[in-house]
Amino acid sequence: MNMTLYHGEPNGPSLTVLATLFAKQLQATLVPIDLARGERHALAFAREPQVAQSVEGEGPVLVVEEEAMTDSVFIACFLDDVGQGAALRPADALGRWETMTWCRQMIERTAPAAAYLGCRAHPPRADAALLQKIGSTDVRARWELIGAGEFSEQQLADSTTKIHQAAEKIEARLQGRQWLMGGFSIADLESYAWLAGMVPLVPAAFAGRPRTREWLERVKAHPAVAQALARARTADPAASWSVGPEINRWG
Amino acid sequence: MHSVTLYHWEPNANSGKPMLALMEKGVAFNSHYLDLLNFDQHKPQYLAINPQGTIPAMLHGERVLTESTAIMEYVDEAFPGPPLMPADARDRWRVRWWMKLMDQWLGPSFSMIGWSVFVGPAVRSKDPQELKAAIERIPLPERRVAWRKAIHGEFSTEEMQESRRRVTLGIRMLEEELAKRPWLASNQYSLADINGFNLAYALPLSQPTLSNDELTPNILRWLRAIYARPATKACWAMGRTSMVKRVAILEQPHIGQAQAT
Repeated sequence: MNMTLYHGEPNGPSLTVLATLFAKQLQATLVPIDLARGERHALAFAREPQVAQSVEGEGPVLVVEEEAMTDSVFIACFLDDVGQGAALRPADALGRWETMTWCRQMIERTAPAAAYLGCRAHPPRADAALLQKIGSTDVRARWELIGAGEFSEQQLADSTTKIHQAAEKIEARLQGRQWLMGGFSIADLESYAWLAGMVPLVPAAFAGRPRTREWLERVKAHPAVAQALARARTADPAASWSVGPEINRWG
Repeated sequence: MHSVTLYHWEPNANSGKPMLALMEKGVAFNSHYLDLLNFDQHKPQYLAINPQGTIPAMLHGERVLTESTAIMEYVDEAFPGPPLMPADARDRWRVRWWMKLMDQWLGPSFSMIGWSVFVGPAVRSKDPQELKAAIERIPLPERRVAWRKAIHGEFSTEEMQESRRRVTLGIRMLEEELAKRPWLASNQYSLADINGFNLAYALPLSQPTLSNDELTPNILRWLRAIYARPATKACWAMGRTSMVKRVAILEQPHIGQAQAT
């Protein structure tokens, strides 16, 4: 199977996909791109609906036999299915439901919050010419707000709350276990990928939560994650952010 | 075999997804109807099952499952019956990609329009104190905002315009995708089609100038093919409101542009 992965710095969704690829011992041509400059929109397949309208925002793109695939959790499920080695989802239906439900909460509630706070602290350096090529009106609108430095106090507060809620949930979940779903899984990867960069930005969320702090170190030390982090081109990949998923428009 | 109980509203949107998945798999279930318009989902009896107060929830033995799309995947894996996920891993990725787009991007826009014309007006005539108390019982703050806006008609012009833009674009995306293959995400009927039907079954009635046999022949072909399935017929027959009876539009052999306008 011929695969090419266009990825950003190992943070957020790019980290999830890179680490999954390594964990599953899969070979792919790795092409680093600067998601924070909008380079995704210069790719030949940028206007494909699955790329232009990806709910995830500026995430990695895996091209498999000319089909461009996006959305890190679902790419990770695909790699888990086709790769080698230990499964990254539980074997039973209930465990798999828990994993998908966990990841859904992560991508719908935590990821938009993390991207919002991350982009405020480390604004992506939008290349104006590339941004003209954005196929999605709503993704472009998010780029424009970030470019103008317009961050709503209400959404900043709400995002901070959501990071606290994610850490609280992880702390509770880790009672008596090393990994979120029992064995190391996509849920650990996706959760770590969005939260690692939040430790310096929302330190209070992680204070007094020793299990979460230890789990962050454990995930970071996992060989597949370490291999992904070793591909960083910047000194602090957890400070590399680009436009993320949309914060819920309503309810 | 453990018994299955489904707490659901109408065969529509999130409630209809596990209903139809169970019926396609041939899984018998105890139907526990919650009247969304009477706020049954925020009453203590149901909050004891699902503290978040969201519909649907499924009991399988002692297990409580929530999140309609994840429940569908569980139903497909936990029970025998025809597979509702394709065998090919890349096809499964496509199923999940489309379900996410519908759940998180297109669905909320359809819902905003639907709530403004159906749900809001349906509950607005209730006693204001009763409505206020009902809103205050909603556990999730996001859902409190949603209900308040729907009940009081507080969706802004900009919000409604953005929802209409997304619905217009989403219809175009669906039409283009369905021109590639018989079903939405693969050559096999799947959870993506169940998800999509729950979103779009009344499309030629609710969006007649955007979706009809002349403008979107592939969407109409697809909706009729799903509606023709025995499980779909049986599922929609469980509906109680005029909202879901709109599905009968699909019995018309041709819905033209002139008819739409």
